[in-house]
Amino acid sequence: MIPKQLEKILLEVQKPSQYIGGELNSVVKNREEVNVRLAFCFPDKYEVGMSHLGMKILYSLYNSHPDWWCERVFAPDADMEAKMREHDIPLYGLESLDPITNFDFILFTLQYEMSYTAILNMLDLAKVPLRAKDRKNLWPIVAAGGPCACNPEPIADFIDLFFLGEGEEVNLELTELYVKAKAENWSKEQFLLEASHIEGVYVPSLYRVSYQPDGTIEAVTPLEPSVPAKVQKRIIRELDKVFYPDNFVVPFTSIVHDRAMLEIQRGCLRGCRFCQAGFIYRPLRDKHHNTLNNNAKCLCQSTGYEEISLTSLSTSDYDELPQLLDDMLPWTIEQKINMSLPSLRVDNFSKELMEKIAKVRKSGLTFAAEAGTQRLRDVINKNVREEEVMETCRTAFEGGYTSVKLYFMMGLPTETMEDIKGIADLAQKVVDLFYSIPNRPKGKGVQVSISCACFVPKPFTPFEFEPQDTMELLHEKQKYLLSCVKSKKISVSYHDADTSYIEAILARGDRRLSDVIEACWRKGSKLDGWDEYFDPQRWYDALEDCGLDGGFYANRLRSYEEIMPWDHLDYCVSKNFLIRENRIAKEENKTTPHCRQQCSGCGANKLVGGKCFA
Amino acid sequence: MRKIRVFFTKLGRAKYISHLDSNRCWQRAIKRSGLPVWYTEGFNPHMYLTFPLPLSLGYESRYECVDLRLLEDIPDEQVTARLNDSLPPDIRVFRCAEPVMDQKEIAWADYDILLCCENGEALSRTLNDYFEQDEIKVWKKTKKAPKEIDLKPHFQVLEQALCSEGVKLTLRCTTSIEVNINPSLLLDNFPGKEQIETVSTCRTMVYTGKMEQFV
Repeated sequence: MIPKQLEKILLEVQKPSQYIGGELNSVVKNREEVNVRLAFCFPDKYEVGMSHLGMKILYSLYNSHPDWWCERVFAPDADMEAKMREHDIPLYGLESLDPITNFDFILFTLQYEMSYTAILNMLDLAKVPLRAKDRKNLWPIVAAGGPCACNPEPIADFIDLFFLGEGEEVNLELTELYVKAKAENWSKEQFLLEASHIEGVYVPSLYRVSYQPDGTIEAVTPLEPSVPAKVQKRIIRELDKVFYPDNFVVPFTSIVHDRAMLEIQRGCLRGCRFCQAGFIYRPLRDKHHNTLNNNAKCLCQSTGYEEISLTSLSTSDYDELPQLLDDMLPWTIEQKINMSLPSLRVDNFSKELMEKIAKVRKSGLTFAAEAGTQRLRDVINKNVREEEVMETCRTAFEGGYTSVKLYFMMGLPTETMEDIKGIADLAQKVVDLFYSIPNRPKGKGVQVSISCACFVPKPFTPFEFEPQDTMELLHEKQKYLLSCVKSKKISVSYHDADTSYIEAILARGDRRLSDVIEACWRKGSKLDGWDEYFDPQRWYDALEDCGLDGGFYANRLRSYEEIMPWDHLDYCVSKNFLIRENRIAKEENKTTPHCRQQCSGCGANKLVGGKCFA
Repeated sequence: MRKIRVFFTKLGRAKYISHLDSNRCWQRAIKRSGLPVWYTEGFNPHMYLTFPLPLSLGYESRYECVDLRLLEDIPDEQVTARLNDSLPPDIRVFRCAEPVMDQKEIAWADYDILLCCENGEALSRTLNDYFEQDEIKVWKKTKKAPKEIDLKPHFQVLEQALCSEGVKLTLRCTTSIEVNINPSLLLDNFPGKEQIETVSTCRTMVYTGKMEQFV
């Protein structure tokens, strides 16, 4: 039954089907027959959250347990939120349509820093007190995981506990502990203390943070002797054997990534120095091509999707890619299923590979060059040479492609205006290349799109010490880039510098930012990932109200000795390694070979018993 | 190749699926069912499906249909079963058969409408006054410019009764490929609509001009 209150408002909002569940493969259980109820919350709109693979995996995994019921919850869009508040409808789970206020767990996935205010808004809509200390009961336990949990300090005051690393095992262990706690009537304090003994669980309220007069951290100290001084992340050692869902919830309304997804590997062997994912998911592990082919068949069969994407951080680095494509091509072609391969690298994009993906349907090609000059690409350890970019584009053009998208970043450490000009020059060379090819596609012009993001220094990367460029400088660089582009065949788009500045503050922030995030939410921030809802002024005002300086977090160079807010979290890339990489980048302009060529001693090998590659 | 007409219900949560989304939902369900359906042979082949009567967002229905073409001969009962295995729970197929009538023959549809309100008797009286006018002129949006039409010849009240929630109506409205009169059009122009708290509408049957059940 749909609650009457909800019936009243659903026809007054855009795309009501996103608020009502009932999709194919959504899991509905009998509330009387389950003993743990979990709300898996994605702090963004349905169309974004439903595209996220991690949520699909954990949703299926939790629900594979007969006594647990995990439901999906997304941030309502502004029109729906207004109606919910007007009619006093608390945030509810899409499967049962019950308010999540008294669920056992409210789980958030932290995919990007700009979603933090959405978390507060969702807790508020759920009528749950925002601050962990104001929630006295054993339930709901508000927990969070995902990439941003590697520096969860800015939201530490709101969340009871964080999952570090991969969730397939630790999430279940924690739920088992909770079942025991509930049966034995534990207090919340007792539960959290016991939880902190599980590897991969970080309970921020069990640590005290003290600061130096200059605002940097003096120490992070556990409050109880049994609480670990350093919490180590969890990984799945044997990825080939890990749980993988045999179906996905198939939405009615269209979402951002509306397709089946196949996770072919975790981690990345490249070590690009700006890339957080490249470090926090180490070491690289992959799945056997037979396992993947079976997963893929099963998913396409259970969802009816006509597209499947092979996802990973660097798909063309997957050793068994040719075998996997050979396995998958016959049946995907027969069933008219399109295969897409995001995250291809320019240095190993072969003609054979292109022909294989083009057999089904031709889509656009995107390559990440990241920086405009060889010098800067070496600094960031993007081991890509200009000749390789050109060779790849030639292959693509000769294969009939006429548009190429190139990704860059600006504001990278050691960057000069020469490097910015290099971006435009590289794009121009690609245009010139197109017209120099005798057998280029006829009757069509070439289109080269430059997409330029602002660099945000992130924890657990060799650039975690680096200042972000000031917004003034970023704006200047953007203008300069536009002035360097001479051809109409080249289009330029870039990220908003304000967003990147706020992201930089939050990414390397400490616990004092919890007050800023709350103040900003009270001023009206709730979906900051969306341009139409984002107002940087709210953040500037909130920082000022709390007496904090954004520049301290975003634009300050840290010494190698400084204690970072996340130093008590262990992602198994050692600080010495990060310092070494930072030095090599800035002082020697040298690159580091990738993991298969030579181990660079980051420390992640201890997670797999000493050797990353058999 | 064999033409087949699939009859189904769209109830409960499924009423919030728009026509466009419903179409996609069917495509995927058919794909999952593995039924050998015919694809168009253009540059971008797509599954050939036709819905004679799009259902408005927010309406339930006990009598929807979709036409498709099968490349192999599969018994009707099996088609029904395989589709039901593949569709979301609130869309259910109850019959499949060779189409008898042309979609163009559709002329009328019946709707059960529940009007929830405080005072059913008062609402019922205002409804009577509204329905009994000699003509009911309203502006109807069309593909070109809005057009004024008289609704009077396009609907009949088959039943009007009080119930615990308010008033229950059964309406028969003109429903064809050329002119489609939606019960909402009638109610949106009803002067007493302020009295109505919520409206639930369910299409219950579709007829031809000769008042035969559309099959």
